[in-house]
Amino acid sequence: MTRFGDRILGLGLLVLAVAYGWAAQQWPEPFGGAETVGPETFPTILAVVLVAGSLYLMIKPDPDAQWPVGKSLMELVISLLVLLVYTVLLEPLGFVISTTLAVGTLSWRMGAKPRYAFITGLVSAVVVFVLFNYGLALSLPAGLLEVN
Amino acid sequence: METIGFLMDGFAVALTPYNLMFALFGAFVGTLIGCLPGLGPANGVAILIPLAFTLGLPPETAMILLTAVYAGAMYGGRISSILLNIPGDEPAMMTCLDGHPMARNGRAADALAVSAIASFAGGLIGTIGLIMLAPVLARFALTFGPAEYFALFLLAFATLGGITGKNPMKTVIAATLGIMISTVGIDISTGTQRYTFGVLELYEGIDFILAIVGLFAISELLFFVESRMGSGRGKMSVGKLSLSFRELVSTIPTQLRGGVLGFISGVLPGAGASLGSFISYTLEKQVVGRKGTFGEGDIRGVVAPEAGNNGASSGALVPMLTLGVPGSGTTAVLLAMLISLNITPGPLMFTQNAEIVWGVIAALLIGNVLLLVLNIPLVGFFVKLLSVPPMYLLPIVTMIAFVGIYSISHSTFDLYFMVAFGVAGYFLRKLEIPLVPIILGLLLGPEMEKNLGHALVLSDGDWSILWQSALAKGLWVVAGLGLLLPYIVGPLLRRRMNAAMKESPVSD
Repeated sequence: MTRFGDRILGLGLLVLAVAYGWAAQQWPEPFGGAETVGPETFPTILAVVLVAGSLYLMIKPDPDAQWPVGKSLMELVISLLVLLVYTVLLEPLGFVISTTLAVGTLSWRMGAKPRYAFITGLVSAVVVFVLFNYGLALSLPAGLLEVN
Repeated sequence: METIGFLMDGFAVALTPYNLMFALFGAFVGTLIGCLPGLGPANGVAILIPLAFTLGLPPETAMILLTAVYAGAMYGGRISSILLNIPGDEPAMMTCLDGHPMARNGRAADALAVSAIASFAGGLIGTIGLIMLAPVLARFALTFGPAEYFALFLLAFATLGGITGKNPMKTVIAATLGIMISTVGIDISTGTQRYTFGVLELYEGIDFILAIVGLFAISELLFFVESRMGSGRGKMSVGKLSLSFRELVSTIPTQLRGGVLGFISGVLPGAGASLGSFISYTLEKQVVGRKGTFGEGDIRGVVAPEAGNNGASSGALVPMLTLGVPGSGTTAVLLAMLISLNITPGPLMFTQNAEIVWGVIAALLIGNVLLLVLNIPLVGFFVKLLSVPPMYLLPIVTMIAFVGIYSISHSTFDLYFMVAFGVAGYFLRKLEIPLVPIILGLLLGPEMEKNLGHALVLSDGDWSILWQSALAKGLWVVAGLGLLLPYIVGPLLRRRMNAAMKESPVSD
């Protein structure tokens, strides 16, 4: 059993805590003079707690979880890319097209047959679009399908 | 009895056709969420928040909708426990022990029906408890000063991991991270910019709704992708109902015991629904003794945990409504809804927003009736949905999360943020850092800082005010116990729970 996960997390959190605490000390004194509880008091307490927590993690780490390697890692990266590309394309392409692509790709990568996957994507996209734009009067971007 | 009067007002709110419609819709969707694979109650309620928000629902309707979803999800969790031996959510774990053997003995329909009735009884007992206890506790909570509130928040964090929690230090870290995220933005009392890095979108702070949806929904998707459990399960058959009236009557004492025990463990900090159903089950085993056939499909073994976990889910609303301090993930998400509706939870809510509080409580009662009525005839429909493979379902759920977040602000900036939270949620879950304390930290962080500030202004900068009153001292002690007990009692309890799981003949 390796115990790297918690150690690395602990180190990362330690860096975060120190940076967070340090940044809090740099703020200018608020207008009206310093009080017992200024804007930096609470963050300073939090930084101290997190430093303690991260040290504990590094000293007494739990056993590592199973991290994805190879194929599962690839799939994870692909899903993440799909989500990001979906966000990028949402406005330019419009809701229906981008959703069909995103939902279709995701369910295809999760093991559905491509045809069924993209049909699911298209149907769910159209249903949600109609429901939101006409039923609930919340406008989703129409994008390329916009009728002027 | 002024409570009765308030409750009647509550019914007047909840019984308007508009609100009733949303309660019905919520109960239905909630059961769906509860029984669908990979969509826990907290997750489901979280996805619905942005929708309830953008629909522009009035506060009481929005709360009624989400409470109905919450109650429904607790009902739904049992379906996959009984049929598939896979608990839909953690509290439904104990239902597997006797529910699944019953299903294998060809009594699936009976198990489903009796568990629906037990859920109803548990929910009803819990709600009655809530009605009696909440106003008392709210009145008591009015005596809390800022120092007591500060200690109470600490207590909430310390006990959140539960006595059965694995590593309390990780709960502390998670809570701290959540509070840290909540400090981003312009400081309310001084106007100082904190951790905004000059980014305009961060001036108002990070919206906790997108954090919640990201942490829960997106990380769930990533987990599913990793484990590749996308292909779903075979079809289930339920069979005919053969439950006799006499058998049903014979379970009434079990239902009462389970409901009361569940309610108590729901109210107590750190116990929660999982422990509620566990205690109900073990106590039932003790009471019935050798006469029972527990673990082989005893009907009382289905009734006890179901009554327990539904009683607990109503009980968990007590601290959330009266103190503004939720004790579980799902109630934390409900709190998020309240805060985003601009309602300050806590004792004052009982006087300032009485119609919402009592509307929600009445909706809980009505919801339970609706759920019972929905569940018995529609169980076949819900069972069919169980065989929808997650590979179609989860992408759609993710898309709905996107739509919800996008429709709040119409900016893609928030969507990137949500995805980032999802990735962070994935890593944190992998490292066994619990997500619920992060959410709670996000929600309670600003309140905690405000109360700290007020306390110190009152004491003129003397920090000892935080633990001066007897009440505050008591809260600090319980908080300390909440962190220490898991080290002492936790391993013992966990071993017992595991032993109970192993005793049952789990063949598949």
